[in-house]
Amino acid sequence: MIITDADQPDNPILFANDAFLRLTGYGREEVIGRNCRFLQGGDTDAAEVARIRAAIEAGQDVAAEVLNYRKDGSTFWNALCVSPVRGKDGGVSYFFASQLDVSDKKKAEQTLADSRHDLEQLVAERTVELTQALEQKTALLHEVDHRVKNNLQLISSLLLLQNRRVSDPAVKAALRGMLDRVGAIATVHRRLFQSDDVARFDVSAFVRDLVADVIGASGRDDIAFSLDLERVDVAASKAAPLALVINELLSNTLRHAFPGGRSGRIFVGINRIDDAFRIEITDDGVGVDSSTGLSGFGLTIVQLLCQQLKARFESTDASPGTRVVIDLPVDGAP
Amino acid sequence: MNDQPLGVLIIEDEVLLATELEFLLEEAGCCSVGHAMSSHEAVTLARDLKPDLALIDVHLCDGPTGVDVARRIHDDCGAVALFMTANVKRLPEDFAGACGVIGKPYSSHGVKIALGYLSVCMRQGQAPGPPPIALTLSPQYLALWGLLDMPRAG
Repeated sequence: MIITDADQPDNPILFANDAFLRLTGYGREEVIGRNCRFLQGGDTDAAEVARIRAAIEAGQDVAAEVLNYRKDGSTFWNALCVSPVRGKDGGVSYFFASQLDVSDKKKAEQTLADSRHDLEQLVAERTVELTQALEQKTALLHEVDHRVKNNLQLISSLLLLQNRRVSDPAVKAALRGMLDRVGAIATVHRRLFQSDDVARFDVSAFVRDLVADVIGASGRDDIAFSLDLERVDVAASKAAPLALVINELLSNTLRHAFPGGRSGRIFVGINRIDDAFRIEITDDGVGVDSSTGLSGFGLTIVQLLCQQLKARFESTDASPGTRVVIDLPVDGAP
Repeated sequence: MNDQPLGVLIIEDEVLLATELEFLLEEAGCCSVGHAMSSHEAVTLARDLKPDLALIDVHLCDGPTGVDVARRIHDDCGAVALFMTANVKRLPEDFAGACGVIGKPYSSHGVKIALGYLSVCMRQGQAPGPPPIALTLSPQYLALWGLLDMPRAG
């Protein structure tokens, strides 16, 4: 500690104890009579010094941590407390100042700040890397999505163009069938990336699209259709096979249930029942017999895909017409 | 506008798609006036042929220039632009002045219905009802054709 004389110009040191001399490396005769600014050096924070000086001039207590210099030029962190000592007249006669070497504490703080800074830098760098990786992945996903959609459009165009060229009704019907199947897959892909969740697929929205398209494209204004669609999500990987099955059943109904301009109605429903969901297609047409039921390639497709989807497929007489039901386990259910 | 069929310019770099689309346009009661594969060709043809409607793919043979083409056709040529793209999400919010978008892969039926609907909108300056499923209209044209108060079709 030191005591300075506030009555003398420039506030010189009046007394310094041994601890002060040990801390600073000066001899007593070197410090008495001097202002203690000799402890300051190039790296001492000037703003902090100014704050201490202002407090001294105002006659107030002040505490600060400043970098000070020993006689040999080495530095230490000084936790400084300065208090004015007032005489009987109330004026400041002396200042009492205590010093504490807090270099170790400062060093620990600095080390902590450094490692924190390093860590933050590391996190920032890693975040940039991950953000870039995500951007690349998203761009790639968009690119692939774009190509899949364009290629589906190209396949449709090829089938349509060939269909315009051929005249054989059997070939036309076969091409039309393939076109509808490609169309069903296309409807899936149009829907697949519309939501932000690319892993799930809303079957009801898809069925609404598909029914509008298949029935619209058939040009059968005399067939009314009604929908009762509960929202059911399936894994995106099941979307295309499911779409193909529904397309096959719907196309078959349109082809066979209402011959000779017979009008009627088709109902399509989706309901969730416990751990399964049910797709139902009911018509009030001419009903099933060996010639109008699902047959040939269409039947094969439905059977194979139901096997793949672990779905149960059943066609029953609805008198009048036909009722087709597909029961599909919800993901995770056995 | 009179009852003449809509004159349509196809801007699409896939020739097979463009060819099939031409057939489709005729079936939908429109008249195909030309086909462009690049942005330069598109703007030139739009100026020379003065189509009523331009169907624009975003990716043309000189890159993703379709958005710019739509803006120029809308601003300079007075035609109504309509995007036909697989990149619906990448379109700017204002649709670059285009009236809307038909997402690829589209179906023949979907395009026919959409073109029929657009023909009515363009002739009457007013939509006959909510747009069909295949067609998404831009905010500007929703307002222009009096659809802001009308509910969107499910």
